[in-house]
Amino acid sequence: MTKKTVNHRQLLGAPVRDHIIDEVRTYVDAAGKMGKIVSIAVDGTAEVEVYIRNQARMAARVGLDFDQQMWSRDITQDACKSRIQDMNDDPSVLGIIIQRPLPPHINIRSLQSAVHPLKDLEGMNPASIGNIIYSDIALVPCTAAASVEMIKATGLALPGLEVVMIGHSEIVGRPAAMLLMAEGATVTICHHMTRSVAMHSRRADVVLVAVGSPHLIGADMIKPGAVVIDIGINRIVTDDDTSHIVGDVDTAAVAEVAGWITPVPGGVGPVTVAVLMRNAKTAHMRQTQIGWRA
Amino acid sequence: MSAQIIDGKAFAATVRQKVAAKVSDLKDAHGVTPGLAVVLVGTDPASQVYVRSKGKQTVEVGMNSFEHKFDADTSEDVLLALIDSLNADPAVHGILVQLPLPAHLDETLVINRIAPEKDVDGFHIANVGLLGTGQKSMVPCTPLGCLLMLRDYHGSLSGKNAVVIGRSNIVGKPMAQLLLNDSCTVTIAHSRTADLPDVVRRADIVVAAVGRPEMVPGDWIKPGATVIDVGINRIDIEDDKTKLVGDVDYDSCAAVAGAITPVPGGVGPMTIACLLANTVTACCRINNLTDGEDFLS
Repeated sequence: MTKKTVNHRQLLGAPVRDHIIDEVRTYVDAAGKMGKIVSIAVDGTAEVEVYIRNQARMAARVGLDFDQQMWSRDITQDACKSRIQDMNDDPSVLGIIIQRPLPPHINIRSLQSAVHPLKDLEGMNPASIGNIIYSDIALVPCTAAASVEMIKATGLALPGLEVVMIGHSEIVGRPAAMLLMAEGATVTICHHMTRSVAMHSRRADVVLVAVGSPHLIGADMIKPGAVVIDIGINRIVTDDDTSHIVGDVDTAAVAEVAGWITPVPGGVGPVTVAVLMRNAKTAHMRQTQIGWRA
Repeated sequence: MSAQIIDGKAFAATVRQKVAAKVSDLKDAHGVTPGLAVVLVGTDPASQVYVRSKGKQTVEVGMNSFEHKFDADTSEDVLLALIDSLNADPAVHGILVQLPLPAHLDETLVINRIAPEKDVDGFHIANVGLLGTGQKSMVPCTPLGCLLMLRDYHGSLSGKNAVVIGRSNIVGKPMAQLLLNDSCTVTIAHSRTADLPDVVRRADIVVAAVGRPEMVPGDWIKPGATVIDVGINRIDIEDDKTKLVGDVDYDSCAAVAGAITPVPGGVGPMTIACLLANTVTACCRINNLTDGEDFLS
């Protein structure tokens, strides 16, 4: 193997992930029996299996039991809901994860609402989102929270920072904006109706991108020295017929300008699963606080 | 140049007319009369004025008004039991607990006890999350009033740069969510913002909701921008007199802006009108009459 040169501008996910995993591991060791994480997939694809394998590996690293459930394609919405409600009442279940995508006949929002807010490891229940908006940061959407962790890893102080969030999805962009606002940043949220994204992004100390469009962000859109957090995951096929995973940022070009940049893969992604595990810890703390657990 | 004045008092009157028409329609076509329950604990004079005003306007548009008044030392259990009974009462479609509550009562606990579909203030945590993810929810009244005025003045808000000054749970945060849902590019500025004048100068739409008298001067405003002033501050003037002012310096902003809401007579009157509208919306949803829900447009 050739020796890699260290790129100091690269903001890597692995150390951030490991730090969070260590913190959760310490908690789990002290807490003893905490109950299991249930990860639900309905008629999962190969990609979903990769995610689940990754979750299982991280659960093993922090010492939590992990129950992987694959429900059949013909399960009804009502049956899904009632199984989730049973898990809400089951003290051996610490928390619940619902893998996306689901088959078209299943309404994901309705299932997310069915998960009890204190078992909502993905932070997708409306009450979980509501708490974030009210700056009660408990169970957070994992990718959004992972992005914030990456910014913190630069050592910059968030209060007063100008942050531009490109993309306003309910899973990433909107919750990330709220988390950053709660930290004191001045946040601007851009999206497909924004007249000039560059006008906003060029002014920003931090730019986050989560739109799912390869190479959307070029060097001319970034202020020199800014932090660039690339949340996109796109599979592209190059001329030689090989497929690659790339983000929403033209990484090579932007790296010349940015102060810090997260690579794809290896940036935000690894931290996302670590945040899921930290949510399991938070869920256990909150469940204990209200007397569900001794 | 001087700005067009957005007359909240007149606009609120048209909202109330639409609400009254919808109420009459609900009675005739479905035999349903929307009902609003207002809960007041204690004797705070400002709260008493609000509650009286809400009750009066509720009756004027043809809805049922239910007032529940309690002594300041009422226990949490008594209050929660009342909310449970209002949640279960089919004649009640909207429940409003007048804030602030006395210190011994947990506001969060009380508000989150209200059934989300009857939470006409839009403060229940589930409604906050639904609004924050662009889903159907009950929307807080003051920002809803601001949004209706903006839509009325601009038509489409899509693509406009909006800056919300202030990140309160009651106004700033839901206002930002509403503007996002209408496809504005939204910046939320607040006390930690490094260069507030610069941020505000970019905006096509400025919503000021900080509670600091006349803090936004005209030279922060982009020429032609729309200024929505949510602030209501009482300040001293000469001879022991006081007057109400907003969060923007009206005269200097009106000289630059394209349109502006005055204080008083701007956002203020819209809040109760939107409360009435929310009660009708809640009534439609609870009775599965969702096709007639957009009666305001």
